[in-house]
Amino acid sequence: MTLKDLLTKINNVATQKFGAEYSETRAQKIVKTSLTLKEERVEAAKQGIENGVAIRVLVNGAWGFASVGSFDSSILDDAVSDACRMAKLASERLKIPIKLAAAKVIEDRVVAKPKKNPANIIMEDKIKTAAEVNKAILGFDGRIKSCSVDYVDLMGSSFFVNSEGTNVEQDKLYVWARITASAQSEGVFTSSREEIGSTAGYELFDEQTPEVLGVKVAKLAIEQLNAKSPRGGKFPVVLGPNVVGAFVHEAFGHLAEADLALSGGILADKCGKKIGSNLVTFYDDGTVEGAFGAFKYDDEGIPSSKTLLIKDGVVTGLMHNRETAQKLNSQPTGNARAEDFRVEPIIRMRCTYMAPRDRTFEELIENVKSGYYFKSFRGGQANLDGTFQVGIQEGYEIANGELGAPVRNASISGNTLETLHKVNAVGKDFLLDPGRCGKGQIAFISDGGPHIKISEVVVGGSA
Amino acid sequence: MAVLEKNTMINAAERAVEAALKMGAQEAEAYSYEGQATNIGIELGQISKTNRIIDRGLGLRVAANKAIGFAYTNILDDKKAMENVVIGALSAARASKPDPDWKGLPQKKPYSQTAKTFDKKIVALTPEELVNVAAEMLDAAGQVDKRVLAIEGGVGAGYVSVAIANSNDITGFDRGTIVECSLATLAKEGSTVAPMCFEFNAARNFSLNPSWVGREAAKMSISALKTKSVETKSGKVILTQFALQELLTHTVINAIRADSVQRGQSPFKGKIGEKVASENLTIFDDGLLAGGLRTAAFDGEGVPHQKTPVIEKGVLRSFLYDNYSAKKEGTESTGNASRAGYLSTPSIDTTNFHIIPGKKTQDEMLSEVDDGLIVYYLQGAHSSNPVSGEFSVVATPAWKIKDGEITHCSRGVMLAGNIFELLKNISVVGGNERQMGSLIAPWIEVENVRVIGQ
Repeated sequence: MTLKDLLTKINNVATQKFGAEYSETRAQKIVKTSLTLKEERVEAAKQGIENGVAIRVLVNGAWGFASVGSFDSSILDDAVSDACRMAKLASERLKIPIKLAAAKVIEDRVVAKPKKNPANIIMEDKIKTAAEVNKAILGFDGRIKSCSVDYVDLMGSSFFVNSEGTNVEQDKLYVWARITASAQSEGVFTSSREEIGSTAGYELFDEQTPEVLGVKVAKLAIEQLNAKSPRGGKFPVVLGPNVVGAFVHEAFGHLAEADLALSGGILADKCGKKIGSNLVTFYDDGTVEGAFGAFKYDDEGIPSSKTLLIKDGVVTGLMHNRETAQKLNSQPTGNARAEDFRVEPIIRMRCTYMAPRDRTFEELIENVKSGYYFKSFRGGQANLDGTFQVGIQEGYEIANGELGAPVRNASISGNTLETLHKVNAVGKDFLLDPGRCGKGQIAFISDGGPHIKISEVVVGGSA
Repeated sequence: MAVLEKNTMINAAERAVEAALKMGAQEAEAYSYEGQATNIGIELGQISKTNRIIDRGLGLRVAANKAIGFAYTNILDDKKAMENVVIGALSAARASKPDPDWKGLPQKKPYSQTAKTFDKKIVALTPEELVNVAAEMLDAAGQVDKRVLAIEGGVGAGYVSVAIANSNDITGFDRGTIVECSLATLAKEGSTVAPMCFEFNAARNFSLNPSWVGREAAKMSISALKTKSVETKSGKVILTQFALQELLTHTVINAIRADSVQRGQSPFKGKIGEKVASENLTIFDDGLLAGGLRTAAFDGEGVPHQKTPVIEKGVLRSFLYDNYSAKKEGTESTGNASRAGYLSTPSIDTTNFHIIPGKKTQDEMLSEVDDGLIVYYLQGAHSSNPVSGEFSVVATPAWKIKDGEITHCSRGVMLAGNIFELLKNISVVGGNERQMGSLIAPWIEVENVRVIGQ
């Protein structure tokens, strides 16, 4: 029996034997390679196989889900039976049964076409690339104390079949690396990090050579050694694309995930309403070719799309799966993603960014009397009530329109909606940075935008 | 739950070690893992999701000419898949570089008995029983106040078993259970939305109090509805376990890992025997603590768990070691090699990170604060500088304490400082300990924390 036939059979068991109104099966065949290099040392080169099936059913309006690391027909029969029985049990207390928005039936096969397939690069070469990054870091400055490269690539295919007739087979390809460095001098410790990632192929390292990457990360750690803590308080700030991306993702993006909006988030009743300055236009775009976070079909078999979230300050839409689209009388946007076969798909971002406008960097900083330029971020978080925090890795003072001394340990925080109204100039440049987002599961994403100016935001620092 | 037998688990590991040695590995270590979980999910005020997850696999670490390779598979019952694991690990080792600091896999040592880590009632729980727990929790939250919505949460029962075998004759098997329930709630009044509040129970035996969880989360949400600002100044802050967990994870925990120390990434380097914290702070990493969420007989390399003094009365006593970092210094592993199931090689982590409680009750602690804050949830702690310990986080939310009473909630309050300075400014260690992941701690009061109001 082919895998497709097996998955179809399981869906039939759910609908015919257990009376499920909907059933979907996802299978995954993945080979992963990963390695960690700390300074000169290869901690461990790793290779792994992760194969398995996820079954999700809707019975009387309640979800049942089961996952097993097996393609064995009798094990899958047990799993679908578990999922259906548990869903039925949960449905007995349901006040509002779950329904799904209509979806087009799709049959497709998506083939990855990497210039350099990571599966064809031998482990020795991957180790060599990582070692070159570390060599560049350690050689940059004697005050560098440590560095590391975590590298992962993943190749394989995923199969999606549902009881409505959709059946999609997609190749999966990810190449990702995180590079960190730390420096120490006169009792001051600093650290820096950079992530790169692609769904295109191993050619990623041709675009950003190990040498360039290493120097970039080393420089960040060294520059902070002489930086001072910012004064705490409210200041005008200019944010670089990397920080804008983190802000769009953390402070706004999560609120525009329809499941969180429905959970009492502040965007629930804001559709069609103005929540930011005219300069604010945001997208979540799953169609950016080769970008980290881009894909053709999501894990509910819905085509990915370029979703407009805010246009000129007005909320135009949310990111949906089939369940939230039905609840909010909208269309699924292709944002349902599952980290792997072990877990259920949930609403996740893809490539989330702010659209550029017309200003140059000089124009953005020229009128800032006393403020900060924050160039790259270190982590960020937001709450459903619209409070956000973004940590800053690289930042500088701005005094009388000029860039000044570097600052370290800064962060910005505030209320998202208030802050969006305070965006008063937007640059014409544009950059997307790859990253990973945690929402119970890890998702590969990108975010970014142009440089922007915000008239006032709370800057946190010690002192 | 139908679970794999002890012998099946150990045999899988032993066979993989044998095969690796036969095919040219000088050393080999196999770790077989089974995890099973049943979860009942709550979304938007109702029980609407269920899942059942079975995850099994085996990870194999080999050494060939002092170079390390690792491979894993989640297919345990297929001979070909197991062969591929051996080939994968060996080829990874051969592609890798020799590590002069590699002094071999751990040697065999006797294991201690663990207490209260397995409860057969949890393995036997039916989905019906779990649904009842979820319903009780939801009802309790609903009864507190109509303005409260249970956003998400659930009830889960889990079983994990692991077996380890290595070429130094280590063999071990351990199993454990965990059950938990949690609820995140939101209070809404008109256009005001309070920050999300959260409560949970987690235990190794079937001893949940779902009504308490539902009630506490809901009460917290209501008290977070009305907010007033606080002034910018330095002052007293009571950190509850939620806040402590966030702050410590990204800083102090990193600083006591021997690999961080050896790589110059810890401000504690060279400070064993020195005072690094207030005298009232004592911390043990206790992998054998009865009923602890991270308690097990052995660690991810088959080294026995133990109770390691980390800080005693403010004095730094020991770092946490795995076998590699210990051998590098000519000392012994503290049993702190941790694994993410079968998918990863061991890395150093805490087991049960136990901050020894003092005597004061919650009420006593609150009543003795003239002017300060109490903080539950923090945002942005993962953006702390892991090496320097500098942090700048938002309390979501914080509550103001005035003359010994909690007066009001405040939003958007930022706390900034350095965690290592903060350790020295601990004024009170409470008596109200609870466990949260690997942390077991009471409330802690700290002086002179920089508070930035809005």
